[in-house]
Amino acid sequence: MFMHGRILKAGPLPSGRRVRPLVWSMAFRSVTALVGGYAAAAVLATLIARLLPIARVEATSWGMILSFPIYAGIALWCFHEHRLLRVAAAVWGIAIFGGGLLWLLGVRP
Amino acid sequence: MTSAVGSTLRQSMAWIHGWLGLLAGWILFAMFLTGTASYFRPEITQWMQPEFRATPVTKIQAAETAIAHMQRVGADDLQWYIYLPDARTAVTRIFEQRKPDPKAAKRRAPEIVLDPATGGDVHARETGGGEHFYRFHFQLQLPHPWGRWLAGLCAMFMLGAIVSGVITHKRIFADFFTLRWNKGQRSWLDAHNVSAVLALPYHAMITYTGLITLVAMYMPWPVVANYAKPADFAQAAFGTPTERVATGVPAPLVAIGPLVADAERRFGASVATVVVRNPNDAASTVTLYRHASASLNGRGPSVTYAGRDGRFLEGTGDVGPALATAGVMLGLHVAQFAGPALRWTYFVLGLTGAAMVGTGLLLWTAKRRRPGAPPFFGLQLVERLNIAVIAGLPIGMAAYLLANRLIPAEAAHRADTEVATMFWVWAAIALLQLLRPARRAWTEGFAIGAIAFATIPVADTLTTSRGLPGSMLSGDTLFAAFDVAMLAVAALLALGAWRSARSKPVAKIRKTLSETVHA
Repeated sequence: MFMHGRILKAGPLPSGRRVRPLVWSMAFRSVTALVGGYAAAAVLATLIARLLPIARVEATSWGMILSFPIYAGIALWCFHEHRLLRVAAAVWGIAIFGGGLLWLLGVRP
Repeated sequence: MTSAVGSTLRQSMAWIHGWLGLLAGWILFAMFLTGTASYFRPEITQWMQPEFRATPVTKIQAAETAIAHMQRVGADDLQWYIYLPDARTAVTRIFEQRKPDPKAAKRRAPEIVLDPATGGDVHARETGGGEHFYRFHFQLQLPHPWGRWLAGLCAMFMLGAIVSGVITHKRIFADFFTLRWNKGQRSWLDAHNVSAVLALPYHAMITYTGLITLVAMYMPWPVVANYAKPADFAQAAFGTPTERVATGVPAPLVAIGPLVADAERRFGASVATVVVRNPNDAASTVTLYRHASASLNGRGPSVTYAGRDGRFLEGTGDVGPALATAGVMLGLHVAQFAGPALRWTYFVLGLTGAAMVGTGLLLWTAKRRRPGAPPFFGLQLVERLNIAVIAGLPIGMAAYLLANRLIPAEAAHRADTEVATMFWVWAAIALLQLLRPARRAWTEGFAIGAIAFATIPVADTLTTSRGLPGSMLSGDTLFAAFDVAMLAVAALLALGAWRSARSKPVAKIRKTLSETVHA
């Protein structure tokens, strides 16, 4: 059971030793959602733009339009999935491997 | 509600919804309120220059006087951006891009504002007008680009809060009809639900489309992957005319009138903007853009003519579905297509947005207050910030409008003083409320706001010849409507003061398991 919901609440806090690791894991989860989520959304939106077999300007626009719901979905999922390792692996994995793939693909010829 | 991450979807979404709303709530409230005011940006500007009464002119006359003025002051500029007056804007606004001067400091030339009838100066007080609310709405008075980034981050939080809020509400249709007054926390939850659910399509639309307005800044990566030169995307997407390099051979500009007439015939709608590139050069071009009121799509088409002989060079064609979608999203956000009835509807919906954010913030404190127990620091902090923003910002906005009437019309730097007045008053209210008990501070804050807004029409009557009731009798619709709207806002704030004075300290309310309060 996570206890971070309690941290800003009235009433006795759990002992400091128990809280601190939860604070760190929550901080990592939040950074993953905010920064990693942006990176993953940017990579997915850019893959849509780069790979969609339609006119370049249209594919670019769809990628840009879809980037925000993708970001919102990824970031919210980061706070739903219990296993932090899984969250980190998925989000940073998409960002790094997708980014690598884009680097290999280069600018659309 | 102590556990959140890893519980059921509704529980985790309720938890993150609370955090997203709390962290971004105050800025979102300010963005909603100033953005709502911005639906009347040109009208606010007109009200803030009461000396200036526009003589109605045609687009062609306005374009001719603007070009004549620019030929006098900036004949060798790189570009002129001329925004013609329309049914809502009384003046011509021009931005000039000067030739880079290695000796001069690298500063943008100031905006030029002209009386469209004469092409001369507008004889009216200097003011930021409605433009100030509009800029604050997405730049938050911070240096570029930080304000826009912060606004974008808060908009993203809002988008996440909307999605998670919808998931949290399984009773979304029942909530539509549920508002239980005077039940403390339960009432705030109901008020939050009603304001959020009633106008949900608007809130979702305005948040998403708001992000789209600055998508090129927030999410440029799709462009980077597809174009070696990002300018090529703008050229393909928005029909920026082909770059034509100045030849250095002088050639006078053709008369602008026939070009405007030809463009309006091609558009079947009026022209909004005239862009002249390399004026008085043999390679000069004149690009005319369609007025945004002509279509839901915020990015209208344009036509480009050769400046030396008026020959038609190019026009933007039809765009594909993605670009049309993006254009319509932009149009939906800025609402320039909207007529008066729809504009007022937008305005009311914008207020429900502010109400949704505001009641959400109040719910956070109502849920955590324990009768008898002293409020803990976090609760006090949130409560005080709530008062500072929800009760304080309207007072600041009223102060901005009052400053416009009370600062002498000829005072130096008065436009900056008006803006400074808004922030100093807002800051003073935010600090002074700390001297009062929280419940009193709410009542008094709203009461001060009500008095401030009620004073605006009075100040208008005392300092100008266009106040109530004269404006009503003489058919000066804009001024009459503005002053009546100020009285309506005052009444709304007075209602807030009255209700907050009446509400009894919250009795402990049992949480029923069938309903979720965001934790």
